[in-house]
Amino acid sequence: MTPSPLDARGLGKRFRRDWGLRDCTLTIPQGAIVGLAGPNAAGKSTLLALATGLLAPTEGSIEVLGKDPLREPSVLAEVGYVAQGAPLYRSFSVAETIEFARRTNARWNDEIVSHFLTRIASETKVGSLSAGDRARLALALALGKRPQLVLLDEPFAGLDPLAGREFLQLLMDGVAETSATVVIASHVIADIERVCDHIVLLTEGGIRLEGNVEDLLESHRILMGPRRPLGSIRGVHTVVRERHSGRQLTLLVLAAGPIVDPSWTVDRVGLEELLLAYMAPERLPTPEPPERLPLRWHG
Amino acid sequence: MAWVTWRQHRAQVVAVFGLLALVAAAAFATHLPIRAAYHRNTLSECLPPTARSGCDIIVRHFENQFDSWVAIVRGLAVLPALVGLFVGAPLLARELEHGTHRFAWTQGVTRRRWLLSKTALLAAVTLVAAALLSAVVTWWRGPFDTLEGRMAPNGFDIEGVVVPAYALFALAVGVLAGLLFRRTVAAMTATLVVFASTRLIVLNFLRPHFMSPLHRSVVGTDSARPTADWLLSDTLVDAGGRQITAGREDLAVLHAQQAGIDPHNYLVSLGWKRVISYQPAGRFWTFQLIEAGIFAALAVAVVLAAIWLVRRTPT
Repeated sequence: MTPSPLDARGLGKRFRRDWGLRDCTLTIPQGAIVGLAGPNAAGKSTLLALATGLLAPTEGSIEVLGKDPLREPSVLAEVGYVAQGAPLYRSFSVAETIEFARRTNARWNDEIVSHFLTRIASETKVGSLSAGDRARLALALALGKRPQLVLLDEPFAGLDPLAGREFLQLLMDGVAETSATVVIASHVIADIERVCDHIVLLTEGGIRLEGNVEDLLESHRILMGPRRPLGSIRGVHTVVRERHSGRQLTLLVLAAGPIVDPSWTVDRVGLEELLLAYMAPERLPTPEPPERLPLRWHG
Repeated sequence: MAWVTWRQHRAQVVAVFGLLALVAAAAFATHLPIRAAYHRNTLSECLPPTARSGCDIIVRHFENQFDSWVAIVRGLAVLPALVGLFVGAPLLARELEHGTHRFAWTQGVTRRRWLLSKTALLAAVTLVAAALLSAVVTWWRGPFDTLEGRMAPNGFDIEGVVVPAYALFALAVGVLAGLLFRRTVAAMTATLVVFASTRLIVLNFLRPHFMSPLHRSVVGTDSARPTADWLLSDTLVDAGGRQITAGREDLAVLHAQQAGIDPHNYLVSLGWKRVISYQPAGRFWTFQLIEAGIFAALAVAVVLAAIWLVRRTPT
């Protein structure tokens, strides 16, 4: 059996006083396109830095392609990582940057990279590239390694929607033939929604939700109905979130079977809505119901 | 990695050799009048063991004439430190400061190999540059070495094999400081402090004891020219060999003045003499090898520490 591309067991990382990531147990399936979602400072970058050995775990362990990235850093030859902000040497030209990657990687594929170069003069200094081109270059370098695992940390930051779409296209083309596993960390769900088939949602340094996108969408339902005290509803496992608006009650639920109660309108949920619901604190304070006007008899 | 190292550090390498060329050109230009004066004054006839009359004035004149130049050349002792400051310290600090280590350290080359290759290549460049500097200075100081010797720090520290060893040590300290401080300016400051204090500690506390110093006593008037030896201490002792305190010396001089005797003659009549402890000039190469060995060993230890630490450094 081939080892999981990324396997974390009780993984935790503490920075000075606060935990950036804690008690993270996670196995990413081979070949998945994983959306690593979560608000800012949820631990997404920390998880990716631990996966590349840039950080050492405080507790637990992490294995990348079956190897500890700190003890066996040679595994990084199989990992294409683009850190947040796509750090590259600003004084290098594009051609020199590519040469750098070629010389520091035993296995190198020029094709993807030259595909990138068709649009940009190779003498351009990296420091004067647009954010979009810089992100593309960083991605091309990561893919040029022919990696089994691609880790992208907030690759859409600073990209306009069009550049973001092009970026995703380049990524999908690049990994199409190698069937590499991809992890894209982003706090903007709309950016990753279109491509990812697996979701890991981090909040406050812990995994809040994880699973296959289709399964998650299939198992969750939105219920709408008139406002009422909540008892147990048949076919509902857990109420993830409830929202009142006037006399209307909207629930996001994890379903355990068909919901047959006719007083509820049952609807499917979108990925963004689902993730936002899970991202919110456990229980939102429920607003007080509006005071009912005393009925008065006339006449 | 050679290409990578060259691409990232070529400006520094060019600067190092540019500076070296400048020093060599200046040395060559200033050496012409020195050599002319050296031969015109026929100093060679005054060199030990031949000491003819009038030598004293000729030698003094020659030395004083080029005093300021010698002082400037002595200042070249700071050049090895510059390697640590401007090549060693930024090596890691700049990457960590700009976050580019996240790119460089996640390639196929592991970061230990990355650091080892870069440090080794830069160390080789440093070694060549420092050896050339030492050769130029040794050549320039030739006449002064003949007259004053080079066992004392003003010659010892800028000649021979210690110069490349100092430079290697500075480079190594810079690399480690960059890793620990993660900021270029802080790393440069730390490098300067560590390098300077290590040099001073070795110079003042270790080098005088590499081998046990020799002693000689000087009685009465001794106007011999300063020797090529490295003088460590000069103590006044009485006839019994006990050291004379400053208070006792003052008292004796005062006593002689009140009695109307020449103080010098009085002290000689008491049997007081100077005991000089020194390291003889003949130990130059032994001391050079010991000192160079110390700094080279320190450099290796510091680099190994940096290579060991770089893997466990949180970023």
